[in-house]
Amino acid sequence: MAEAYFPVGPGLGMEENFLSLDDILMSQEKLPGRAESALPRLAVLLGQGGGSAESVPEGSKLEIPLWLAKGLHDSKRRIISVELPKIYKEAWRTVFSADANVVDLHKMGPYYYGFGSQLLNFEHPENPEIAQTILQARGGSVLPVNDPVCSPQTFIARFRRIMDSSQNSYNEDTSALVARLDELERALFQVGQKGLNDFQCWEKGQASQITASSLVQNYGKRKLTEVDG
Amino acid sequence: MEPAEVEFLAEKELVTIVPNFSLDRIHLIGGDLGPFNPGLPVEVPVWLAINLKQRQKCRLIPPEWMDVGKLEEIRDQERKEDTFTPMPSPYYMELTKLLLNYASDNIPRADEIRTLVKDTWDTRMAKLRLSADSFVRQQEAHAKLDNLTLMEINTAGTFLTQALDHMYKLRTNLQPGESSHSQDF
Repeated sequence: MAEAYFPVGPGLGMEENFLSLDDILMSQEKLPGRAESALPRLAVLLGQGGGSAESVPEGSKLEIPLWLAKGLHDSKRRIISVELPKIYKEAWRTVFSADANVVDLHKMGPYYYGFGSQLLNFEHPENPEIAQTILQARGGSVLPVNDPVCSPQTFIARFRRIMDSSQNSYNEDTSALVARLDELERALFQVGQKGLNDFQCWEKGQASQITASSLVQNYGKRKLTEVDG
Repeated sequence: MEPAEVEFLAEKELVTIVPNFSLDRIHLIGGDLGPFNPGLPVEVPVWLAINLKQRQKCRLIPPEWMDVGKLEEIRDQERKEDTFTPMPSPYYMELTKLLLNYASDNIPRADEIRTLVKDTWDTRMAKLRLSADSFVRQQEAHAKLDNLTLMEINTAGTFLTQALDHMYKLRTNLQPGESSHSQDF
C-alpha cells in the first residue's frame, strides 16, 4: 500500500532526529533542575509566577523541558544543572531489575526509553547504569548484572510480554494491555498486531475482496437510496 | 510483504489435476503445459488448477502430503522436536487454504486436514516466538533457523526486526563518546 506520509522515526541512541514527531513530543517532557545563576526577567517563562520583570533567583528549583535543558546545559557556563527524574534513580532501577513487567511505563512518562537515552547526554556518574537498565528492562536478561541495573534491561524484560500479547489477541479489546506500555512499545505492539491481522484477514479470504477505500467513504457522498424522495 | 503476495508466490507450485477437456501443449512464458487429455492426470501450477476447477473443467488430486495420517505424523513430530521439522512443501499453509477453499469436494476429510494444518502452524509459530525471546534475552549476535516457511517469516518478521532495531539503538547508548555528528537529512 503506498502511503502518502512516511513518518520519520525517533533518533538513534543519544541523538534525536530533528524531524521526528516522536522525538519532538518526547523532548517536551520535564526534568527537575536548579538554576545555578540568577536568570533575569525569566520568571514568568519558567513558570515561577510573579510580574513580567522578575528574575529567577540563584539556586531555585525548576522544572525544565528537555529541549531547553539540552540547550542550556554547559559545564563551563553554569546556567542550570539538572538532576535525574526519580524513575531513573537508584530506587526505581532496583524495581526494574526485580520485575520489569509490572511497571506501568505509560504513567512513568510516556517516553521512558527515548527520554532515558537523552538523559545520557548530560554527564552524570550513573550514566552506564541507566543505559543498561533501559535495555535490560526491555528484554529480561539472564546475564549476571553486578551493577545496579540499566536501561536495556527494561526493554529486554518486557519484550516477551509485548510479543505474546500483540501476536495472540485478535479482535479483542487491547486497551488494558496497551495502557501500561510507553510510546515506543506501543508502536511495536501495533506492528505485531498488524502482522497478525493481515494474516487472519488473508486466511478468511478478505485479502482478495474489493472494499471501498476509507478516503472515499469519508467524502460522505449521499447514498443512492437517500437521493430518491 | 503481505500474505497475499506470499500466496501469489505459492501459486507457482505444481499440483496434479485430471482435466475433462482436451488441448494441445500450450506454450507460456514460464514454460510449456500440457497436452491435456480427458481422464489423464497432468501437472499444472496451482493458479491454473484453481482457475480450471472454478470453470468446472477439471478435478483436483490432493498432493500426497495432504492426507490425515501424514499430517498427524508431521504435527506430532513438530510437537516433539525443539527445532523446526522440514515441511512437506515450503508453502503448505497457502496450498492448504487454496485447495480446501476451492476444491474441498476432491479432498477427503477436508475439515480434519484443515485442523491438523492449523495445529502445526500454531506449534511452529509458538516455537518461533520462543526462539525470538531467547535470542533477545541473551542478546545474541545472530541466530539460524532452518525449515521456516515464507508465510511464518512474513507474519512474525516485521515485529522482530523492529524490536531488534530498538535494542540496537538502546545498546549504542552503552558506548559513550561515540557520538556521530552526521545527520541523515
